[in-house]
Amino acid sequence: MQTVIPKTSAALLSLLRADFKTQWRNRRSVVLLLLVPVIILISWKGLIEQMNKAGKNGGAFALSSCITIGLTAIGLMGYSNAIARDRDKGVFQRLRVTPVPTWSIMASRLIVQLLLILLVTTFVFIVGSEYDKVNLTPAGYVLTYLTAFVGGALYLGLGQMIVGLVKNAETVNSTTRLVYFLFIMVGMFGDLGVLGNEFQKIIRWTPYGTVKNILASSMQPSNWDNTSTLALLATLGYALLFSFLGIKNFKWNTN
Amino acid sequence: MNNQSGSSILQVDGLNVSYGSFHAVRNVSFDVKAGEIFGFLGPNGAGKTSTLSAVEGLLKPQSGTISVAGFDTKKKPLYAKANMGVQLQATSFQPELTVAEIIKLYAGIYCVDLTKEKLQNILEEIKLESSSSKRFKELSGGQQQRVSLVIATIHDPVLVLMDEPTTGLDPQSRRQLWERMENMRDKGHGILLTTHSMEEAEAVCDRIAIMDHGNVITIDTPQSIIDTHRNNQAVINASRRGKITLEDVFIGLTGKTVRT
Repeated sequence: MQTVIPKTSAALLSLLRADFKTQWRNRRSVVLLLLVPVIILISWKGLIEQMNKAGKNGGAFALSSCITIGLTAIGLMGYSNAIARDRDKGVFQRLRVTPVPTWSIMASRLIVQLLLILLVTTFVFIVGSEYDKVNLTPAGYVLTYLTAFVGGALYLGLGQMIVGLVKNAETVNSTTRLVYFLFIMVGMFGDLGVLGNEFQKIIRWTPYGTVKNILASSMQPSNWDNTSTLALLATLGYALLFSFLGIKNFKWNTN
Repeated sequence: MNNQSGSSILQVDGLNVSYGSFHAVRNVSFDVKAGEIFGFLGPNGAGKTSTLSAVEGLLKPQSGTISVAGFDTKKKPLYAKANMGVQLQATSFQPELTVAEIIKLYAGIYCVDLTKEKLQNILEEIKLESSSSKRFKELSGGQQQRVSLVIATIHDPVLVLMDEPTTGLDPQSRRQLWERMENMRDKGHGILLTTHSMEEAEAVCDRIAIMDHGNVITIDTPQSIIDTHRNNQAVINASRRGKITLEDVFIGLTGKTVRT
């Protein structure tokens, strides 16, 4: 009898179809994921004008902050919780006994997350343009999309690290909420200088600060400087470190 | 299925599985033939599920070889997996997907051409045509088992692995599942199942292996095992109705102590 190994591309297509359907059925959580950065962007209209008057680029500051918040939510609230839940329920074990390479199971999940990154970034651009009248050059838009993927990789890596180090789905949920809250509150207020100058300097080199920096710099490509390059390298470093720890410690089941 | 009945489709030799310092499976060897239902019996923690998980490729054995349809699971894991269908103990599918979508997903993974008519036929065969748009968790235990079995066999594998498939089923659903297993055997599939039910082992298994503390104690047909051990004092002591049953032999060989 001849054994036929299913084509990885065909299997990946089936997995993608199922993962997109799953995401579509969870569209309420996607709406919530989009709402947080959009609400912040709308509420910062006054702040953008104030910063512009003070000679700072308020538009880039607001858009980069909101995209960073959206990316944090995707990696921490969406991806890691979905992985923890499916691992807990045995969904991965069922897929692992099929003749598909295990990387394709995760690749399918990550492709869906990349689409969400695209969606959040686009939403922030649209609201920024329509409501706050913040518009970028075509190069600025393209570069920002690219850096949003790099920043997204960092937060997906962070989500992977949490789901790798924490086995219990409920604990993953509470840990990601706590980390998300810390990132948003400390990152945002620290970046605004509310928590003091020293804290503001430290925040710039945290995963929140480096992602925000590369996004803000991408929005004005002419302003890209050495600090932006260092922030990009730091972002890539964080992404690699988190992903390495997340993949190394990841268990496909909770038993 | 055109497998030659009697030829080995699963060959396990000298299998050892450990979890840290705990040696769960010790030098286990057995084979499953085409057109045979092979039962794995043992108390909790005997090593049944660990053995099955090693065959399924879900855990790496410390030593030993496993070959499915002639393919070594270490050297050719995807070929081995393509030749087996698996029904896990706690099967779960993405809770957002409907029954029809789950079947389509696995048909796609195995590159099985599934037309609307074929899907309809499958759903009719498992009496779930009116539940195709239901989510898996909304089905009863018996319905869930039928869907799991359809998915395990959607690619017509030579070997079907079933981990305690009748646990929690009512007598009607259990009988129906036994009939499905017997139909598969008649078509030439080899079936390896683990069970705690002696009634099930006697009713459907052609051969059984009794495991305890990671070792295979005995392998034979249910009747031969009873005949071989009927004069064993521990078995006689375990007998409750004067007549020696498979359960008496099982208790006699594995002891009366409740395992956790």
